[in-house]
Amino acid sequence: MDELVLERLRVAAGARTLVEDATLRVGAGEIVALVGASGSGKTLTARAALGLLPFTPGWVGGQIRVTTEGRVFTPRAEADFRALRGGVLGLLWQDARGALDPLRTVGAQVTAASRLAGDTGRPEDVLARVGFSDPAQVARQHPHVLSGGMAQRAALAVALARRSRFLLADEPTTGLDPSVQRGILAHLAAVAASGVGILFVTHDLRLLPGFASRVVVMDAGRTVEEAPTPGALVGHGRALLDATRRIAGGAL
Amino acid sequence: MSAAAALREGAPEAPAAARPAAVVGALLLGGVLLAWLFALVVPYDVVADVNPARASLRPSAAHWLGTDHLGRDVAWRLVVGSRAFVLPGLGAALLAGLLGVAGGAVAGWLGGPVATAVRYAGNVVASIPRLVFVLLAGAVFGPDVHVLAVATGLACAPAVAEALHARIEALRRAEFVLALQAHGVPDARILAWHLVWVNGRGLVARNVLATFAFFLVVETTLSYLGGFGVQEPTPSWGNMLAFEFGIPDGNPWAWAAPGLAVWAACLGAALLGQDLGLREGAADG
Repeated sequence: MDELVLERLRVAAGARTLVEDATLRVGAGEIVALVGASGSGKTLTARAALGLLPFTPGWVGGQIRVTTEGRVFTPRAEADFRALRGGVLGLLWQDARGALDPLRTVGAQVTAASRLAGDTGRPEDVLARVGFSDPAQVARQHPHVLSGGMAQRAALAVALARRSRFLLADEPTTGLDPSVQRGILAHLAAVAASGVGILFVTHDLRLLPGFASRVVVMDAGRTVEEAPTPGALVGHGRALLDATRRIAGGAL
Repeated sequence: MSAAAALREGAPEAPAAARPAAVVGALLLGGVLLAWLFALVVPYDVVADVNPARASLRPSAAHWLGTDHLGRDVAWRLVVGSRAFVLPGLGAALLAGLLGVAGGAVAGWLGGPVATAVRYAGNVVASIPRLVFVLLAGAVFGPDVHVLAVATGLACAPAVAEALHARIEALRRAEFVLALQAHGVPDARILAWHLVWVNGRGLVARNVLATFAFFLVVETTLSYLGGFGVQEPTPSWGNMLAFEFGIPDGNPWAWAAPGLAVWAACLGAALLGQDLGLREGAADG
């Protein structure tokens, strides 16, 4: 069965260890939420899985294991990660505008991702799938004219066009209004239903009920707890949950 | 249309009418290139045109810009004078562009000691004023036009490299570059296509056009001063200026026209370069 497994992953910047022990598993079609306070190492864990850390030495310990289409990858060196990036592991960024090339049209960027995936379809079709009512117009536009929600949907379209087997979604709903958030989550759920495993990094537990298959809690660079729903958290996750409940008014 | 809709429809490529600087610049440079092509295909004998009987005529239908004090047609000499700088100027621009793009791209992408080495090499060249650098090269290797072109290209390469280096360094860690890497796009393609071409070509174009204009200024200066540049009777805009300026009762167009031509060509390069460079810079913000 297809799965993405991180085992006792360690990440360091210089002499500082930023992620001590990240252990989690994402199966095909699953949405695994990785939650935790800011600075707990969620984003670094996701980036480390792709071998894309912006500092050295970066990934220093543990194992990344990806099983897909009957093959097992345990990337060690940059060349191994290269073989995984894109086709096997994809990334959806928090800052969608930053993740799009400012000087190329949305359509050109979707098309480029499609070509990498071996597709020859039109970008408008992918843009329509993420809910744009006027995909032809969006395809002609540059990222800076899009609203935050539109940019995130455009970035989602680029990620979908690449057709990765696993998607690492790094707070893709942060800073968006609730209706756009719901739309993004619905699209991600549909992607998962088609068999893609999603690691969904967030600090907002309110998004998770009915969306995430499992919740993994990270604290100070360690994965410390795992539960089927946020309500079932008891340890470190409980503090996060209580804080969320005080804001959300007991809706969880 | 609502303001928001107008914003969303903001055309990525403004129509030509909204880019007057680019249009004027392109027309001026296009005129220079046309003159050069014309001079290539239509023969003009620079010696046989001498005719004292029609010296220093004012502009007329027969001689659009009049004649110089040897009776040679000024318009013809202006057209033929473009040969003194167009091809070597393009060569200098190409050399500056190639060296600058290679150095700037590699330094900006790799950073670290490579960037330090490239920047140091560029600073060594740039520490000598460009005109002095070109004159030195001419003095050492002979005042051949090829030497001047290569020296100009070398003198202008650091500016191209420095500008592109800064641009690529700034974008190297941009999220969209990481996103492309996450998509499995090879680094070489990200650097060559996404950074240098998509995000850096306007900047490079501006510096390359400036190199072309600088060669024109170098050539004009040298042939105006005599000795180093193109020698009479072969016309260049610089020696036409020097040859006719201050002639008693001369045709003022015989020196004003080449002077204006130098000014117009440099203005064209500056306007077009500014438009190409600025439009790209605006998209960074």
